[in-house]
Amino acid sequence: MAEVSATVAKKQGDFNLRTIVLPIIAIVVLVAYFSYVNPLFFSASNALNIGRQSSVLLMVALAGTVVILIGSIDLSVGALVTLTGILAALTVDQFGLAGATLVGIGVGALVGLVNGSLVTMLKVPSFLVTLGMLSILSGVANQISQGQSILFADSLLPDLVNGSFVLGIPNVIWFALIATAVLTVVAFRTKLGRYLYALGGGEIVASHAGVPVTFYKILAFVLAGAICGLAGVMLTGQVGAGTPTAGSSLLLNSIAAVVMGGTALSGGIGGPHRTFLGVLVIAILTNGMDVTEVNSFTQDIVKGFVIILAVSLTIDRSKYLFIK
Amino acid sequence: MTSLTVVGRPDLPGGRPAAAPALELRDISKTYPGTNALTGVSFVLRRHQMLGLVGENGAGKSTLLSIINGTVRPDTGTISINGEAVRFGHPTEAARNGVATVFQEQGLIPTIPVFENIFLGRETKFTVAGGLRRKAMIAEARAVLEELEVDVSPTALTGALSFGQRQLVEIAKAFALSRVYPVEPIILLDEPTSALSDHETAKLFDGINRWRSRASFVLVSHRLSDVFAICDEVVALKDGHVVDQRPIKSIDEVALHELIVGRQRNAEYYREAVQREPSATVALRATGISKPGHLRGVSLDLREGEILGVAGVLGSGKSTLARIIAGAEAQGEGDVIVEGATLLRGSRRDAIRHGIGFVPAERSVAGIIGTDTVDWNLTLPNLKQIALGFLGLISPRRSRALTVEWMQRLKVRAPGPSAACRTLSGGNQQKIVFAKWLARGVRILVLDDPGRGLDVGAKEDIYSLMREIADKGAAVLLVSDNLPELIGLSNRIMVLRDGVVSAIVETPKDAKPREVDVVSAML
Repeated sequence: MAEVSATVAKKQGDFNLRTIVLPIIAIVVLVAYFSYVNPLFFSASNALNIGRQSSVLLMVALAGTVVILIGSIDLSVGALVTLTGILAALTVDQFGLAGATLVGIGVGALVGLVNGSLVTMLKVPSFLVTLGMLSILSGVANQISQGQSILFADSLLPDLVNGSFVLGIPNVIWFALIATAVLTVVAFRTKLGRYLYALGGGEIVASHAGVPVTFYKILAFVLAGAICGLAGVMLTGQVGAGTPTAGSSLLLNSIAAVVMGGTALSGGIGGPHRTFLGVLVIAILTNGMDVTEVNSFTQDIVKGFVIILAVSLTIDRSKYLFIK
Repeated sequence: MTSLTVVGRPDLPGGRPAAAPALELRDISKTYPGTNALTGVSFVLRRHQMLGLVGENGAGKSTLLSIINGTVRPDTGTISINGEAVRFGHPTEAARNGVATVFQEQGLIPTIPVFENIFLGRETKFTVAGGLRRKAMIAEARAVLEELEVDVSPTALTGALSFGQRQLVEIAKAFALSRVYPVEPIILLDEPTSALSDHETAKLFDGINRWRSRASFVLVSHRLSDVFAICDEVVALKDGHVVDQRPIKSIDEVALHELIVGRQRNAEYYREAVQREPSATVALRATGISKPGHLRGVSLDLREGEILGVAGVLGSGKSTLARIIAGAEAQGEGDVIVEGATLLRGSRRDAIRHGIGFVPAERSVAGIIGTDTVDWNLTLPNLKQIALGFLGLISPRRSRALTVEWMQRLKVRAPGPSAACRTLSGGNQQKIVFAKWLARGVRILVLDDPGRGLDVGAKEDIYSLMREIADKGAAVLLVSDNLPELIGLSNRIMVLRDGVVSAIVETPKDAKPREVDVVSAML
């Protein structure tokens, strides 16, 4: 009996190991390959490039992770980044850097509140609520911007985002790294974090243990919205304008990164630290193909295959009764 | 095995006196890791008979059905159908021999029409050049339904039918088998009446009585009244053994119930010697708890140091009572009062605040988070105890230390506090559910069938744990299907029948009542 449970536990350990080790192996293989094809790939300046290109993606993937951990999904993350980016561009000249940031985070949190409330109170599946929200937010963003980029005069925001104040590393990378660290601490060392895992792993168990289920579910969406809002402001600073198409590639890439990192779509397994690895895989793949001059259509095809391969290797099938 | 004299039905097919039984099981055994699900099970189903299969939860009924219908392979033993030994590797092979199961959770697809369900998986008969002859299928389905006098259109959408109608369609599906394969059906009915109204049940039994000249049946049911209504013989299972096979006419309901639950009650097993007298202080009082359709005016006083048992058959409302007292479900009327405070209805949070722990019946969905580790499960309601510093961050070290402490106290066998809970045996998982509340220092514990699905050793551990808890002055409300367990452990037993308290049976340690005394109040 004990022997049986010990072997099963060992398997479980193997699985955890696999989800951590596989992304790392993928990273090593990709780096080796691209460096071989183009030696310029393996340089400090290109490493910073990769960091710059993926910081916003990392923020969005972290937001997605929070919601996926409770077993829901937020499809409105990319559109929300676009909208809050445009709002930041519109408000930064009038309200300053702090004001624009607050607007971004505030609108993001508000959208999260609406998403979370609809999911919990009206009991509409998060997939559908946030799919609708995705459409609404893109519409609003286009309406406001009339499909044009929104330019602004303020220089503080771009300077803060693109500058390199510490160790020569661009601030945008620091922001994303700090966000990862903070969320990892939240996940493992706070009540909120434990409750998120509990909701994803067994909502009834959590509710029997006295967890206010509705409140924490809404909170997860609010937190995700606020992170997206911050990401929108960062993106606007990085680009130097608010653009109505900025967030369009973020949704699929972020979900791919979350799942590749080993966070289960069924909830309760994974976390921000895992998502960090997943984002790294996507970022290196994208940058590497750019550097080795793979055309962008081929890039999409390759990325698609890599995502399917990676997910088929890392998902925990024991969580699924049927694969649909 | 007991004697197998042919009984009852004078209309047995006359011409063949030595007709082989429709189904015969001989010495079937099945072992799962840690449990002997079935040991040396033998019984006979004669042609055109209805055989009742009865037993407690975990007695092995489901495993047995799965073996007969080919879903599970037995470790040893033989199955014969019409006198010929068969060996099923797959449910389809069983189906080819006429074995059809009507499942408790229905096996029909709601989004397709009735006739497609009836021939699901056996469409080859209607296939011409890769296309389905829809009309022929509908006609055939209609013929089956009409023959059985089932008033359902073959083209109706399955999901639009009532539960009772779908049940009839399932049975029709079983008969349709005999049109595809040239065999007489053996129909396994798994709790067919559990979701039916009395009227629907009567209709189903009417139908079965009409059809029994053309099929043989095995009926698994919790409702003994069903068994008495339509069965010719009954097989009682207990802990994976056949206790008896008898003609239904030779036994009455109370005797059958005793047969099902009546293992030798072992005083040592339930630690009866250390049963204490409860103190006079009432830890929890419930007054006039009512919930339409479940409970009517149930009141109780639960005293410190007491184990109060709640007995009742399925549907008596005993689980609902446990959930209401634990705050996991809201009552319509009545109050739960702890130390003078009236608890918020349906609020687990408030109940926890007043020191009420809850061990629910469905361990895997309501008790344990399988994907989480032992320490995350155990500390879920205890995060305050393991928080440190001004930010109140959780200390993983304290989390593990608290977990290890309780794992040792409760003798949990697990690789360590970081093992995922789903890798643990049921008994060890159940200990963690207990530990979750004990670590919180609860004064009141509500247990809903805490021994369900556990093997004998794990049960023994849980029982001695309950004794310890009561001994330290905590109050325990024990809801259970298992009568010997209730009698052995409780100070008093409250018996519920149809949502109303039908009796209070005192069970002092030196004068435990007989099971029949309790059963008579349940039925």
